[in-house]
Amino acid sequence: MNGRPGTIRSLLALGLLALLWPSPLRHLLERDMAVHMIVQLPLLACGGFLLGSALRAHEPRWLAEADWLGLPGLLLVIFTTSFWMLPRMLDAALADPAIDGVKFLSVASFAGLPLALSWRRMPALGRAFLWANFIPKLGAIGGLYLAAPIRLCAYYRLDQQAAAGWTLIAVAVALAMAWFVIAFVGVPMSQAPAQSCRAGNEAA
Amino acid sequence: MTMEVTAGRVALNARAAVLAYLAVSGIVLLLMMLLGLTMRLAQAQWIDVEPDFFYVVMTMHGAGMVGIAGLSGAAVMWHFVRRHVPVSTAVFLVNLVFFLIGAVLILGAGFIGGFGAGWTFLFPLPAHSGELWSANAAAAYLVGLMIIGVGFLLLHLDIARGILSVYGGLGAALGVKQAFGLAPEKGGPPPAVAASTMVLIVNILGIALGAAVLVVSLVNLYVPSFTFNALAAKNMIYFFGHVFINATIYMAVIAVYEILPVYTHRPWKANRAFYFAWVLSTAMVLTVYTHHLLMDFAMPAWALVAGQIISWLSGLPVLLVTAFGTLANVYRSGLRWNLAAALVFVGVAGWAIGVIPAIADGTIAVNSVMHNTQWVPGHFHTYLLLGMVAMMLGFTAYLTRPQPRYGLGWIGFWLYVGGGTLFVLAFLLAGSESVPRRYAVHVASWLPYDRVGSVGAALAVTGVLILIARFFAGVRTAAQAEDPA
Repeated sequence: MNGRPGTIRSLLALGLLALLWPSPLRHLLERDMAVHMIVQLPLLACGGFLLGSALRAHEPRWLAEADWLGLPGLLLVIFTTSFWMLPRMLDAALADPAIDGVKFLSVASFAGLPLALSWRRMPALGRAFLWANFIPKLGAIGGLYLAAPIRLCAYYRLDQQAAAGWTLIAVAVALAMAWFVIAFVGVPMSQAPAQSCRAGNEAA
Repeated sequence: MTMEVTAGRVALNARAAVLAYLAVSGIVLLLMMLLGLTMRLAQAQWIDVEPDFFYVVMTMHGAGMVGIAGLSGAAVMWHFVRRHVPVSTAVFLVNLVFFLIGAVLILGAGFIGGFGAGWTFLFPLPAHSGELWSANAAAAYLVGLMIIGVGFLLLHLDIARGILSVYGGLGAALGVKQAFGLAPEKGGPPPAVAASTMVLIVNILGIALGAAVLVVSLVNLYVPSFTFNALAAKNMIYFFGHVFINATIYMAVIAVYEILPVYTHRPWKANRAFYFAWVLSTAMVLTVYTHHLLMDFAMPAWALVAGQIISWLSGLPVLLVTAFGTLANVYRSGLRWNLAAALVFVGVAGWAIGVIPAIADGTIAVNSVMHNTQWVPGHFHTYLLLGMVAMMLGFTAYLTRPQPRYGLGWIGFWLYVGGGTLFVLAFLLAGSESVPRRYAVHVASWLPYDRVGSVGAALAVTGVLILIARFFAGVRTAAQAEDPA
C-alpha cells in the first residue's frame, strides 16, 4: 500500500460504506427521491473513489495498459451511474434489500473506484468534454422529471419527483458556475511561452 | 492532402485543414444562397414553389447559414489563435467531420423528411407537424444539430485547453486585468486570444443549454405526454441560438484584427478600451437574448426591459472599438487596396450598419410592430451577409494571395457588395411598410420589394460565386504558401 495515506483512505472508504448501510441512515437517505439521488448515490461513489485512490499504487500494469486513455473505466462509470439513476432501479433498490446491497457494491466498485483510476488517464480535453456533457444532461434529466405527467417511481410521490427534478437542475447550475469560475480565475499551471506555440503547432 | 507522414507519425496539415473548412463553407454558402434566392423568387411570383416546400427551404436555409457562419468563423478563429496557443489539428478536423455528418442529417430531415419547423425548432412545433413531417424527420434534424454541437463543443474545449495552458485562466486570456487597469496594456493577450476566449466562454454555455433543450425536444417527439414548459424551452433555444449566431461575428472579426494590419503595416493596438469592450460584450452576449422574446407576454417584464436595454448596448463596445480601430488603422496608412483588405473593411461596415436596425428592433415599442415584418431579416442579413460573410470572404482572399488590383475578383466584389446592399434594402423597406416575414405567398402590393430583392439576391449570388471560384482556383497554391506578412 502507498504508506499511511493509502491506509487511511482505505479505512475511510470502508468506514463510509459501512456507515451508510445500517438501517436508520440508509432509510433516511432513501426516504426522499432527491436525497437518494443527490446524496446517497454520490456518497457511495465517493467511498469507491477513496478506495480507488488508495489502491492506485497497487494497480496491476495490465489493467493500467488495458484502460487506454481511461476510456473503458469511464464508460463503466457512465453505464453504472446511468443504470442506478433509472427510476425503475431506484424502486427496485427500495423494494428489495438484496438489490439495495447490489447498488451499494456496484456504485462503489463500478463507478467510484474506476473513476479514481481512470480519470487521471483521460486527457484534459476528454475530461472537459465529460464535464460539459454531464452538466447539461443533469439539467435535462431534471427537466424531464419536472415534465413527466406521471409518477416515475412507485415509492416516491409526484411532489418528491418534482423536488428531485429541481434539485438536479440546481446541482447542474451550481456545477456549471463552479466550473466556469475555476476556469475563469484559473488554476496554477506550468507557464508555456506563447512564442513557442506556433512552432509547437506546426510540429503537432 | 491534409495528412503527411513524418517520422512514422501521421501529421495533420493545419493550413490544409483551414482550407478544407473554407472549401466546405464556400460550397454550402453558395447552395444556401441559392435556397434564399429561390424563396425571394417565389415571393416575387417569378417561380412557383409550393408553400409546404417553401418552409422546408426556409428551414434548411436558416440552419445551413447559421452552420456555415459557425464553421467559417471557427476557421478564422482557429487559424489565428493557433499562432499564440497550442491547439489540436485533429480536434479541428473532428469538428469538420461532425459538421458534415450533422449537415447530412439536417438536409435529409428537410429534403427527404419534409421537416419545416424553422431552424429554431421552437418547442413543441417539431412534434406538431400537421402530418407534414414525421417524428423521425424531426428527430433527424434535432440529432443533426446535436452532432454539430458536439463537434463545436470539442473544438471550443480544445481551444480553452490551449488558452489555459498559456494564460492560466480565461480571465487573464480575456484581458480582464488590463480592462480594469490592474495590469499594463502591453502585457495583455493578443486580440485573437481575447476574442477567442470570449467566443469559447459564450459558446460553451450556449451549446450546453442547447443540448439540454434538444434532449427534452427529442423525448417529447416520441413520448408526447412529456411536455416541457414551452416558455422555458424558448428561453433556452434563443439563449443557444442567439449566442451561437452572435459568436460567429466575434470569431470572424479576428480576421479584421489580423488581416488589415498586414496591408496597412500598422499593428492592431489592443488597449484598455479594447479589453474592456470584450469583457463587457462577454457579459452582454450572455444576457441579451431576451430581445427575441419581446412579444411573449408571459415573460416577466423585468426580463424584457433588461433585454431592451442590453440590446441597445450589447453590440456596441466591440463594434465601436473595432470600427474605430479599423478607421484608425486604415487612415493615411498608404494602404493599396486588395480584395482581402476591401472585404474585411466592408465586413466592419456591414456589421456596423446592420446593428442600427437591430437596435431599433430591440426596442419593445418598435418590436411589437416590426418583429414579424421583413425588417428583421433585413437587419440580420445586413450584418451577416455584408458583415460576417464579408469577413469570411476576406479571409479566403487573404489565404489565396489577393495581389491583383484589377480582375475578375473585383467584379465579384462589386456584384456582391452592390447586390447584397440592394437585397437588404429591399427587406428593410418592405419591413418598414409592414410586409410580413416568413410568408410563402405575397399579395400584389408587396411584389415590387420582392422583385427588387430578388434582383439584388441574384447579383449577390453571382458575386459570391466569382469570389468562391477564385478561392478554389488558388486553393492548391494556398495550401503550400505561408500567410502574407
